[in-house]
Amino acid sequence: MQRSLKFEVFRYAAIAAFLALSLIPTLWMISMAFKPIAEWQSTGADLTWWPKNPTLDNFRFIFGESSSDMISALERTAGRPILASLLSAGFGTVIAMLAGTSAAYGLSRFGYGGNLPLALVQLRLFPPMAVMIPVMIMWAFLGLIDSWIGLALIYGIVTLPFAFWLMKTFFDDMPREIEDAALVEGCSRWRVFLRVTLPMMRPALASSALFIFILNWSDYLIALLLTTRDWVTIPVYMASLSSSMTGQLYGAKAALGLIAAVPPVIMGIAIQKQLVRGLTFGALKE
Amino acid sequence: MTDMTSNTPSRSQSQSAADEGAGREEKRLGFALTLPAQLLVLFIALFPILMQVYISLTDWSPLDGIPWYRAYELWIGLTNYVDLAGDPRFWSAIWRTLIVMLICVPVQFLLGLGLAILFVDEFPGRRAMYSTILVPMMVVPAVAGYMFFMLFQSGGPINGILSFLLGSSVQIAWLSDPDLALLGVIISDIWQWTPLMFLILLAGMLSVPQDQQMAAVLLGAGWWRRFFTIVLPRMKTIIVIAIAIRVIENFKVFDNFYIITGGGPGVATETISIYIYKVTQNDLIWGYVAAIALAILIVLSIVSGMAISRMRKG
Amino acid sequence: MTEIVLENLGKKFGEFTALNGMNLTIANGEFVALLGPSGCGKSTTMNMIAGMLDPTEGEIRFSGKKMNGVPMGRRGVGFVFQNYAIFTHMTVRENLAYGLKAQGESASQTKRRVDDIAELLQLTDLLDRKAAGLSVNILQRLAIGRSAVVEPSIFLLDEPLSNVDAAFRSVMRSELKALQRQFKQTMVYVTHDQLEAMTMADRIAVMDHGKLLQVGTPLEVYNNPVDTFVARFIGAPGMNLLKGHVGSADGAASVDLGATGRTKVVDAKSKGDVIFGFRPEEVKPDPKGELHMAVTMVEHIGARTILHLMEGQHEAKAVLPAGSDVPNQGDIFHFNVPGTAVRLFDATTERAL
Repeated sequence: MQRSLKFEVFRYAAIAAFLALSLIPTLWMISMAFKPIAEWQSTGADLTWWPKNPTLDNFRFIFGESSSDMISALERTAGRPILASLLSAGFGTVIAMLAGTSAAYGLSRFGYGGNLPLALVQLRLFPPMAVMIPVMIMWAFLGLIDSWIGLALIYGIVTLPFAFWLMKTFFDDMPREIEDAALVEGCSRWRVFLRVTLPMMRPALASSALFIFILNWSDYLIALLLTTRDWVTIPVYMASLSSSMTGQLYGAKAALGLIAAVPPVIMGIAIQKQLVRGLTFGALKE
Repeated sequence: MTDMTSNTPSRSQSQSAADEGAGREEKRLGFALTLPAQLLVLFIALFPILMQVYISLTDWSPLDGIPWYRAYELWIGLTNYVDLAGDPRFWSAIWRTLIVMLICVPVQFLLGLGLAILFVDEFPGRRAMYSTILVPMMVVPAVAGYMFFMLFQSGGPINGILSFLLGSSVQIAWLSDPDLALLGVIISDIWQWTPLMFLILLAGMLSVPQDQQMAAVLLGAGWWRRFFTIVLPRMKTIIVIAIAIRVIENFKVFDNFYIITGGGPGVATETISIYIYKVTQNDLIWGYVAAIALAILIVLSIVSGMAISRMRKG
Repeated sequence: MTEIVLENLGKKFGEFTALNGMNLTIANGEFVALLGPSGCGKSTTMNMIAGMLDPTEGEIRFSGKKMNGVPMGRRGVGFVFQNYAIFTHMTVRENLAYGLKAQGESASQTKRRVDDIAELLQLTDLLDRKAAGLSVNILQRLAIGRSAVVEPSIFLLDEPLSNVDAAFRSVMRSELKALQRQFKQTMVYVTHDQLEAMTMADRIAVMDHGKLLQVGTPLEVYNNPVDTFVARFIGAPGMNLLKGHVGSADGAASVDLGATGRTKVVDAKSKGDVIFGFRPEEVKPDPKGELHMAVTMVEHIGARTILHLMEGQHEAKAVLPAGSDVPNQGDIFHFNVPGTAVRLFDATTERAL
């Protein structure tokens, strides 16, 4: 359909305005991450939009090196929290994908687990805060408090609904004829699943796993409740980057925030096409 | 397109009866494949809820020095629930959560719909702008919280921009004024989740058949008539899904709110999740927390049950 | 009262020329079929008439009024889409009333006119049904009714039968033709199916590769194709085309078809290499016939028998009338082609001589 020039001008103007507002917070954090300490707090007339003396000091600082006289080096660096985030989100993704994919296949092909779709939607519905008391008690009982394994387990359960629903829609879409052909050839059902179905589903598995990793990586509340010191994740650690001596360590937080924000943004853009499917529980497949 | 309500086994049952041997193999495999997920659901649903019911009837706290299973020693019956009914801080947290939802979701919906209209047809730069618009929703919410915490500092860039626009120095203390603090966290939520609305609504809008829209135009319909009689009605299911997702997630909101304001000043930005968190971590009266959590679970189950059965009928 | 004139109409999509130099005048009340294989430019032409596309060259006029730049929806054009584009979220009545409402007709008038058109199309009983789930012939009637109710002066139909089962097509064809007689409107019908064009249209415009090749009544196009493309495209099976050489033997002009034989031609205006064309239906079996070819296959389609013939580089088909002797596969089939049935084409330009 043809659109008038006036509409085109309006379109670009409106999108530009929205993008400008939308990018300010992100750009401010990026700018802050490269500001030397003297510029962190510059206010009022001195407000600096872009670092006057860009530096990597903030990144060095969170990994334990202090080049500034004003702040002594950190007792605990960001290395361990980054590892904690990677391990818990990564293995949480593995748990969710294993259980979710196999259950989705069981339902999609053999009609087992008819209660799962609704149960899992409801699981997603409840605020995690409303089930955390028993989880904290159980995790303490199992010795899983402040361990990445404990986090990975709860992440796996929390994102299971997404893994299940996503993979279910993918299996439902997959033509059965190919599997049937392999069955006729005399392969067992199990072999067909491992050797025929899963390899065909590789792109679907990859995008679902990335999606679930983003969700796990983004958690704050659960880690806040279930970790205390050794295995705190990035967001929890970030909160500790304030001290009564120095106040808010803006630059250090921004640098760490940037490190935390980059992977999901890149992954998210990579799986753009599958994002809608994931976020709507597979209801929308565009 | 919509698959939300179909939990019937797809296409598989008639076939399994055909071959006895294969049928048995399929049964075993089907059972084995769904078992892990079933166990995880039981593990996170059944056991915790029973435990929650039990603890909610006691005055147990982890500080009491007795393990949770001996909480019966502190049995207080329904006292927690009675307290809850009269707890003004609980009710104000519920109320605040609903207000935040009632502001955020419609604003996100309208902004997302407007953007989707702008993006529905091809134009130079569309792909790049589309990806850029999506960035906020992929930022870790806790990190988004830090971003807005920095932005709203009285010497921060928001006051900086306002100073520039108004030509005089603006020193608004955003996060220490109760109303402004609430506005601030609402802005952060809108900032982060408008892209999600946009993404879903655009996908829905693109799935409205082109020829139907053409047919409407050829019959003399103008832009507005086409939009309200063809495009919007055809997007009904998708709109319901998009709003439902945001309503659910908004009810749980915690990360960015907690990081920006910690629920304060006072309780000005204390949503239900923040309230429960504080009672859990600071007051440590877990019997009471269990009662709150259970009450919310029950209400949510009833509401969602009604919503789902209505969706199935319609 | 609308006459459509297309003058030197052309459309380019970037480097690709979808339509070039199209000249066509469609008289008021006429039913014209735009016929051609996919990619021939017929849909482009129709979309430009409707206003969905802007021509890059030439003019479109409705009864003398230039239409270029007039937005679609203001051209008084009814359009029936390939899959009918029925608003399935509305009732039949809402579908029919859509155009009237869009054009600001009063509620009482709308109701009266919707009732009238429903009556005419036998949709009255279905008026309050949801349009989703109606059968395809009702959808066709509804699509036509929805356009017709606003009384467009021109009707455009974009392959409306292509999604219909073959068995049902003839029913839909006759229904469509009957509707056209009822409405007496100018109709342009796009199709790639020559049978649809032949049975319904007053005139056929045959197109290929963005060019209009020939316009004429179905019989004109069938009997006197302007070139070998039209000859092959019209008729099922299409015209036989054999390479030959015109010379004279025994004082009369004749075509030498090599191993296939030699046959006289009436008033041949040319000499040299030609393409010798004749309709399969015109083949006259004759044991002493001048032409002979080997039978490679025998097809029985009801009472009709189609022979597939081959001789050297020549291939041909012959349709035998009911009751004739049918040769076997491998036999040599002798036949004549009556002089009046012969069409000669230039061997290099492939245009009719």
